[in-house]
Parts: sequence; C-alpha cells; structure tokens
Amino acid sequence: MSIQIRNISKNFGKFAALKDVSFDVGSGELVALLGPSGSGKTTLLRVTAGLEFAEKGKILYGIKDVTERSAYQRKAGFVFQHYALFQHLNIFENVAFGLRVRKRSERPSEPQIRARVEQLLDTVQLREFAKRVPAQLSGGQRQRIAFARALAIEPEVLLLDEPFGALDAKVRKELRHWLRNFHDTTHLTSVFVTHDQEEAFEVADRVVIIDKGVVQQIGTPNEVRENPANRFVEEFLDLGRDSVPV
Amino acid sequence: MAGATTTFRTKVVAPRRATAESPWIKGTLISILLLFFGFFLILPLYVVFHEAFSKGAGVFFKTFQDRATAHAIWLTLLTAAIAVPLNTVFGVAAAWALTRFQFRGRSLLISLIDLPLWVSPVIGGLIYVLVFGRQGWFGPWLFEHDIKIIFALPGIVLATTFVTFPFVARGLIPLMQAQGHKEEEAAMTLGANGWQIFWRVTVPKIKWGLLYGIILCNARAMGEFGAVSVVSGHIRNKTNTMPLHIEILYNEYQFAAAFAVASVLCVLALVTLIIKTYAEWQAERQLRAAAESVE
Repeated sequence: MSIQIRNISKNFGKFAALKDVSFDVGSGELVALLGPSGSGKTTLLRVTAGLEFAEKGKILYGIKDVTERSAYQRKAGFVFQHYALFQHLNIFENVAFGLRVRKRSERPSEPQIRARVEQLLDTVQLREFAKRVPAQLSGGQRQRIAFARALAIEPEVLLLDEPFGALDAKVRKELRHWLRNFHDTTHLTSVFVTHDQEEAFEVADRVVIIDKGVVQQIGTPNEVRENPANRFVEEFLDLGRDSVPV
Repeated sequence: MAGATTTFRTKVVAPRRATAESPWIKGTLISILLLFFGFFLILPLYVVFHEAFSKGAGVFFKTFQDRATAHAIWLTLLTAAIAVPLNTVFGVAAAWALTRFQFRGRSLLISLIDLPLWVSPVIGGLIYVLVFGRQGWFGPWLFEHDIKIIFALPGIVLATTFVTFPFVARGLIPLMQAQGHKEEEAAMTLGANGWQIFWRVTVPKIKWGLLYGIILCNARAMGEFGAVSVVSGHIRNKTNTMPLHIEILYNEYQFAAAFAVASVLCVLALVTLIIKTYAEWQAERQLRAAAESVE
C-alpha cells in the first residue's frame, strides 16, 4: 500500500519542525528519511504513524485518508529506536500483544496466535527465546523481536525510527542486510529514519533528504549522490564521506 | 641494604579511603544512631506490647470483645476502605496527568500535592469544620437538608482523605517520569485502545510503586489522629476511630486496654513496613529496568 504525505506542517510551540512537506512512498517501496539530528525526520515518521498530529496537511494510506485517525486505528507497524519492548512480558507475549488486543470478533484463536507468533519468531530466528524476557536479550535480538512484534498485526506499511541507531557497528550491518532481504521477499511498503547516509544508500530504494523541516531532495541513492540538489545536500553528503565508515 | 627492608614489619589493615572518617568518629556516630533508634523507636514499641499484656492475655483479648472497641476498629477499617481507593484513583490520575502532559502550572501542582504533608493535620480537619460545620459555609444548608458531615462518617472520611492523598501520587510520579511512555506508544501502534494500554502496559509497569503508595496511604489512613479528632466529635460507638479510642481508654485509666488497641496499630505498622520494604525493592528494580531499557 502506498503512503502519500501531503503538505504536512507541524510546530512545537514556536519551533517549526516540519514545513509543508510532501512526497509519496510507492507501494512496495523502501524509502529512507535521511537528515541530521533535529531535521524533523523522526517527527515526520511519527506524524505518518499517528503518534503525533500535524497542524496542516494530510496523510493517506493508499486511497484512505488517515489524517484524523490515531495510531491505534492506523495500525502501521512501528519499530522504535530503543525497541520499546514490554519489559514485563516474555518474548512470546510481546509478539502476541497486537493479536491479543484485537476485538473479540477479530481476534485469532489461541492455536492461531501460537502458530503466528512461532512463525514470526522463526522469521527473526529467535524461536528458542520465546520464554525469555526482553532484559535477557542483546540489543540486536531485542530489535529483531521489535520487528516481529510490529509484523504480527500484518501491517500494510512498516515505519522504522532509527531502527539500528542503538546497536553496535557489526550488529548494525547484519540487521541492515536482514532488513533489505526481508523487504525483497515481502515488498512491504516501508519508511525508515536514519542520520547515517551509508545506511540509507545501502538499504533504501529511494532517499528523502530533510533539513530544518524541509525536504531538500528526493531520489534514488545514485541520483542523490551524483546530482546533489543544493548546497546543503552536497555538504551533508561530503560530511558523511569524510567520517569513518560504519 | 636489601636485607634491611626485611626488618620492617607492616601491619595489615583494611584500606581506608581518604574521605572516610577516623574509626573513632565512625564508632561514635554509629553509637549515637543506635541509641537514638533504641530510645525513640524500639523502646516505645516494646512498651506498647509490654503494657498491653501487663494484666495478662485474658485482659488483652477481652478488650476486643468490648463493643466500643470493636466499633472503633470497624470504623477505622471502613474509613480506610473508602479513603484508600479514592486516593488510589486520584493518585494514579494525578501522576498520569503530571507526567504525560506538559501544561502551565504543572510544577506548582506537583508541589501542591505535598501540601497535606506540610500542614498540621489539625488544620486539615479544621478546614472541613469551617466549610461543612454548623457555623460553616454550607452548614445551614446541610442542616436544612438533614445531611451530617461533621461529627459523622463523611467528615472522618474527608479528613482522612485529605491527610493521605499525597502518598500514591508521590510514589508514582518519579517512577512514571523515569519510565517515559515508549511502551504505551508501542502498544498504541499495535492497535491497543486507551483502556487496554492502561491495564496491559501501564499498570504492570507501575504496580510495585503503586502498591508501595497504597500501603503507606493505608497505614496513615488507619493511624490518623489529629485531623480526624477535629471532625469526629469522639462519640463512642459512632464516630470513634481506633486512635481516638486509644486516647479515651487512656484518659479513663484503662491502660492495659489502651495499649492493647495500640498494639493492633503497631502490628499494622510492622506489617506495613515489611510489605513496604518488599514493594520498594521491587519498585527500584522496575526503575532500574526502565533506566536500562533506554540506556
């Protein structure tokens, strides 16, 4: 399902976090929102998920206008930077959560829930951890569980907020490849936020570069690299090139 | 030359940090602490139980067969059973509002929650006399409609609620602040509604802090003397709570009976202390878990 972001503006008090942002994410596409910290990329993702509401503009999932709907009605899969797993529930129950909170009429039966959760735990290769609690898992494992939990509700779009931001370099790389492979097999429309251009260019089909709440450039990694639209993009990419590759 | 060093015998002592006091000061401070503890905490507790049983177990147990005593215990339990749930709901709502929303006057409200702790309980009681008493603001209206608040159960509950309302909120605010609300947001994106988020995510997260607050609130509610004394009227079999009843018995020279009732309050305090310590320990664990999960 496609996502259409139409003229979104959002303020925090007097600070304009997003200024008239518009772009589309095609159905089955994997798009990176790239920008320095404070650029508004996370805010945009949260507005897309319904965790924040914009003052102006519209959000459409496919042809459905979801602007007024809150996160629990939109049911976009969301992955948080710091995992946000339920500390008091074991891994199995974390993944099952989205199924258990459904209305009785839509809730799968217990064997169906079990089958679905086990299948998801297989997908992220953590089935043997089902009975553990999040505190007993490593960062990379926790984030994989967070993926599985978001996928359990069979979302039509997947939104990821700096999903690898809290992980060390090696695990980061592994998960990056895993995400790309996962996307290639499922073609689930996905948007992920990152401040790391290498990550954005390696994983995404298209990159949306944001600064100061304004979209600076949209394009495939090659387009952006070869033809930076303006001074900011050029400098931002240069800055990344000089730094130690992650 | 090398042989000369062997003549020095170094005494092995536990390494002392530069900031540590000398053993002499350490010893003195600990002794003062223990003396103070013994004199102000252990001795009174001992006296209560000693006096309670001074005329034998028979007199001790007979005290509780007295109708006025039984009524006082019942009234205390009833008051706590109303005031504690009220303050639990209030405390959770207050902690929720004060940690989740940013608004003008928020920090003022956080300090105002503590007001009953600074103010003398007598004033807490007096407020309600001035508002609902016979000569108070609503006094004449209440009298016309034959509603009794002062010198009746509603007054006792009001005064108790006033005195005990900081406990639940105070326990929860730092905990909820540290935990943030990422888990609630995650639950929301998974399709949980507000009610489900509260019961399935928030309550398990805060349960030990909540229990801790409820227990303190309950202990204080059952033991409150000052505020209740002002509004109760000390009518035996009607508006006498346990602490007030102890005073009456004592004034009537029924020392063994007074101490017997007092010992019940002491046992309550000890049980509270044990549960509190356990809840506190668990709450700290939750707090640490919250700190780790955001690293």
